[in-house]
Amino acid sequence: MSVAVTIASLTIPVSPISPHALVEDVGEYFLAPENEQLLSLPVVDDGRPVGVISRYQMMNVFLKRYGRELHGRKEIATLMNRNPVLIPVDQSMEDASRYVTGNMRFPITEDFVIVRDGRYAGVGVVMDLLKAMEQQLSSRSQQLARAYRELKSSQSHLVQSEKMASLGQMVAGVAHEINTPLGYVRNNVELFLERQRLQAATLDGYTLLLHMMESADSSEAGIALQLDEVRQLHADLGGGDETESLLDDTLYGIGQIADLVSSLKDFSRVDQAMSDDIDINDCLETTLKIAHNTLKHRVQVVKKYGVLPALRCMPSKLNQVFLNLITNAAQAIEQQGTILLRTYVENARAHIVVEDNGKGMPPEVMAKVFDPFFTTKPVGQGTGLGLAIAYQIIQEHGGDIRVASRVGQGTRFVVRLPLPGASDDALAVAS
Amino acid sequence: MSKPTLLFVDDEERILRSLTPMFRADYRVLSTTDPSRALAWLRDDKVHVIVSDQRMPTMLGAELLRQAREISPATMRLLLTGYSDLEAAMAAVNDGEIYRYVSKPWNMQELRQTVGQAAQIGLRLAEAYQYVTTTPAAQPINILVIEGDDAGAGNTIRDIVGQGCDMECKLHWAHNLEQAMELLMQKDIGVVITDLHINDQDASATVKALKRYRPHVVTVVVTRFRDNNTLIDLINQGQIYRFLPKPISRGLLSRSVQSAMQHHRLLRDSPQIAARHAVEPVAETPQRRLPAQLSGFINRLRGGLSQANG
Repeated sequence: MSVAVTIASLTIPVSPISPHALVEDVGEYFLAPENEQLLSLPVVDDGRPVGVISRYQMMNVFLKRYGRELHGRKEIATLMNRNPVLIPVDQSMEDASRYVTGNMRFPITEDFVIVRDGRYAGVGVVMDLLKAMEQQLSSRSQQLARAYRELKSSQSHLVQSEKMASLGQMVAGVAHEINTPLGYVRNNVELFLERQRLQAATLDGYTLLLHMMESADSSEAGIALQLDEVRQLHADLGGGDETESLLDDTLYGIGQIADLVSSLKDFSRVDQAMSDDIDINDCLETTLKIAHNTLKHRVQVVKKYGVLPALRCMPSKLNQVFLNLITNAAQAIEQQGTILLRTYVENARAHIVVEDNGKGMPPEVMAKVFDPFFTTKPVGQGTGLGLAIAYQIIQEHGGDIRVASRVGQGTRFVVRLPLPGASDDALAVAS
Repeated sequence: MSKPTLLFVDDEERILRSLTPMFRADYRVLSTTDPSRALAWLRDDKVHVIVSDQRMPTMLGAELLRQAREISPATMRLLLTGYSDLEAAMAAVNDGEIYRYVSKPWNMQELRQTVGQAAQIGLRLAEAYQYVTTTPAAQPINILVIEGDDAGAGNTIRDIVGQGCDMECKLHWAHNLEQAMELLMQKDIGVVITDLHINDQDASATVKALKRYRPHVVTVVVTRFRDNNTLIDLINQGQIYRFLPKPISRGLLSRSVQSAMQHHRLLRDSPQIAARHAVEPVAETPQRRLPAQLSGFINRLRGGLSQANG
C-alpha cells in the first residue's frame, strides 16, 4: 500500500477566477459540474492567489432580499476572504493537516489553496486531507502492530536461545563430568572380560588335567605336559587378583554417573508448572551439582542454609536463576575464591544470597546488570540476557532480586521470595 | 632388556587403579594423583611414557607436560582427558607438544596399543637423546607459507615470517594447495606454516599426509577455525607442532617459527628423534576417499621416500 507523502497528490487543478470577476458570474461557476464538490473557488491575480470565495458566502449574499441585484455586478474581490489557507505543494501530509486544522475556520466553508513557490497550483479539499491522514494512521498502526508482533516473537526467540545457551553449557559440563567415571567403568569391565577369558581357559586346562588323571589310558608324559600348560595359564592369570576392588570401583562409578544424570533431571524438571512444596535449599544443592564443573578446584562454596518453609514456585525456573547467579559468581572469581550461599527468612520472605569475593563491578556496570543485552563478556560469549531473564522469573514469583557490589571486593545478589501465607496476592498476580 | 616405564597422573585414583593392571604385565607402572610427585619421578627416574589427565586441582595436564618436556625431553607425552575444551587441546600442543590426545572414556585395546607404540618409541628415544648434537645452521631452512589470496594485505603470515627471515631461513609462498604440493616436492622444505582453509580447500589432509611421509617437516597451523575435534585429529594424525589462533599475534607467530626451525634442525640432525612424531593412520572410508590431487601427492611422497631409502 502506497501512502501519499506530500500534499501534491491531493491537488485538484481548479480553474481560478480573477478578482475582477463579477459576483453573479461566480455564482454560475459554482453551478458548473466540475466545481460541484468544491466548497470554495480560488481567486488568483497574475498567477498569485489573492483570496477564496466560498459557496457559503455566496449563499449569504444571494439569500438576502435583493442581494443578487445589490451585489451581482460587483467584483468578487469585494466579497472574498482575503486570507485563504495557503499550503505549499511539497509540504508533508502531517504538516499540512496540522496547519489546516489550526487555521481553518469552523464550520468548514472553504477549501485550501495549494501553491508552488508562492504561485497558484490548485485546490485541496479538507475532507480529502483528513481521509488521507486517517489512511496513513491506520497503515502506521498496522505497521506498529506488526513490528510489535515481530519484536515479541524475536524476544521469545532470544529468551529461548539464552536458555539453550546456558542449558548447552551445563549439559556439556555435566557430560564431561560423566566421562571420568565412564572412563574407568568401561576399562574395568573390559579388564574383567579379559580376565574372565583367561580364567575360563585356566579352568578348562584344570578340567582336562583332572580328566586325564582319572582316565586309565593317559600317559605320564601327557599328564606332565598338561600340568605345565595349566601352570603357565595360571601364571598368566597373575597373582594379585584385584578384580573385587575393580568391581567396587565400577559400582561406585556407576553410582556417580547415576547421580549426575539424576541431578540433570532434577535441574531441568520438565514440568514448568507451579509446585507447592519446594525446598529452596534442595534447589541450590541440585544447581551446585550442575555447576560443579565450573567450580571445582577453583572455587570454594560455603553454605549457610537456614530453615525455609516449603515454597510454591516453579523449581526449574528458579534453578535457572540460581545457576545463572552461581556461574556469574564463579566467573567473577579470577583465580581462587569463595562463593557464599546463604538462605534465611526475614519479614515473611525467603532470602537467598549468592555472594562472591571476586573482582566486583563499578557502579555504572552494576546499574545495568539487569538490562537486557547488557554484557561485559566478549561478543559471542554471552547473550546479555541471563540476569534480565532471572529478574523476570523472580518477578513472576512475586519476589525481587537486588545486587550490591564493590570493585575488588566482590558482588552479592539477594533474591527475596514471598512465603506461602504472605504471598497469596503476589502469586495471584504472577499466575 | 628391562621393561619400559610408564607414568600415569590423574586426580581420580580409580582411573589409576584401572590403568595399572592393564599394563603391569609388560611395563613398570608408576602412578600418582599428585603432579609434583610425577615431576620428581621424571627428574630422578627414567620414564619412557607419561600419560596425564588435563584437569587436576594443583596443576593442569598441559602445564605438567610442558615441565616434563623440559625435565625429560625423551619421555613420550600423552594427554588422557574427559574434557574437550579447545583451550586445553591448544595448550597440549603448544606447551605439552604431546604425542597423542586420548579422550575419556577410552577403548582398552586402542589405549594399550597407543601406549605400547609410545613406549617402543620412548625406548629408542632414550638412547637417541644421549647423542643429540645441535650443529650450527649450515644452510638456511626453507620455510613454506601456504596462504590463500584472500588473506588480505598487511599482517599476513608471509609478511610476518618474511620479516623474521634473515640468514637463517628462506621463504617460499604457495597461494593454493597445488602450488604447495609442487614446492614440497621440489624444495627441501623444513617448516610449513599454513591455514586450514586455503581458498576454500581443506588443508588438513595434506598436513597429515606430509607428516606421515616427511616426519622431519615441522608444521605450524595458523587458523580462525576453532573446532576441538579437528585439532585432536591434527595432533594424532598430523603431529602438528603449533596451533595458533587467528587473528595473528605477531610475537607468538615469530616465536613459534623460531622454535619450529630449531625443532626441524633437531629432527634433521637426529633422524631417530623424528620417530616420536609417528602418526595415527587416517581412517579411509569409501565415502571419504582422498581427492585425486592429494592421492597423487601421497604417491609422490611415497616414491621420494623409497628413493631416499634405496
